[in-house]
Amino acid sequence: MKDRLEEFIRNNRESFDDKEPGEKVWTGIDASLGLRRTSVWNSVALWRAAAVIFMVLCGYLLIPKTSGTSIAKDNSSAEFDDVEAYYFRQISEKVEMIDEFQKSEGLNGFTHDFQQLEAMYMVLKEEMKTSPSQKVKDALVLNLLVRIDLLNQQLHKLEKEYKKDNYQEPKEST
Amino acid sequence: MDHGVNIHEELIARCKAGDRDAHFRLYKLYSKAMYNVGLRITHSEEEAEDVLQEAFINAFRNIDSYRGDATFGAWLKRIVVNKAINAVNRKKHDPIPDDDRWDVAEEEPVGEYGEGLTVERVKRCIEELPDGYRMVLSLYLLEGYDHQEIAEIMGITESTSKSQLNRAKAKLRELLTKKS
Repeated sequence: MKDRLEEFIRNNRESFDDKEPGEKVWTGIDASLGLRRTSVWNSVALWRAAAVIFMVLCGYLLIPKTSGTSIAKDNSSAEFDDVEAYYFRQISEKVEMIDEFQKSEGLNGFTHDFQQLEAMYMVLKEEMKTSPSQKVKDALVLNLLVRIDLLNQQLHKLEKEYKKDNYQEPKEST
Repeated sequence: MDHGVNIHEELIARCKAGDRDAHFRLYKLYSKAMYNVGLRITHSEEEAEDVLQEAFINAFRNIDSYRGDATFGAWLKRIVVNKAINAVNRKKHDPIPDDDRWDVAEEEPVGEYGEGLTVERVKRCIEELPDGYRMVLSLYLLEGYDHQEIAEIMGITESTSKSQLNRAKAKLRELLTKKS
């Protein structure tokens, strides 16, 4: 039993769907499904780069700032020496640990990367001496952080291997 | 309203494989229609958005259980409708009026509909109906469910669904003739 009202609604059915949901609905769906984005976002390298940038920022925030701009130059180079010394200490600790782990192993991909970074660091250090700038300093710190990151990864990998072999787990200092 | 059963077969297969882009495309295809379904039932934009979000998350997570025996749209719509009705029930809606005030004959009234029917007016008047009426009327007239399905969806009997629809239509007509 069709009536005019029913007929009207059925004939204009499409026009009844006129409202649009907000953007946040998809955002919520996307977030809760946790699907990976495109392959670019999948790349470990990209995430590592992001992590490094984050760490650099943190590094800068954590370095105690000395005030005064007149003696800024002296201060900043002294400050950098502190930073460098701090990271060097970390690096050498980690290198020692890794050396202990893989005495028997020869040169592998990891040490090759590491040596390249070291070489780059020397070049940057020269640049710092001849024409010091914030950019060079940033690059130096970034280099140190990437090396620490690499070392951490290598340590983690080795640790996992040793755990698999039921070896007593060595403690990692951070 | 619904297309051939497997019109989005490829898209759905890609969703099953975890393709994010396919999820987004399927969402774009159905979100507007589904949002309006939820909106008609819940009568609240905020709630309809929550319902839409929950329904899509639910559908995507269980997409493996979609076997293609109904259209994807119909399958999804059923999820939306169930969630929307739950949302309305949760906030303790005004119960379906039980009195006979709106118990009227099914025949079309003789009077004219004010300034004539427009989608805007009909929509506004539907929105003014009490929750129970609005739900049954929307499910029947707009979502295309029959009384058996409405009975199942709303947990009422088929005859209740029929009488609710008649009352809802009568009330709607009343609002439409009154309003200009």
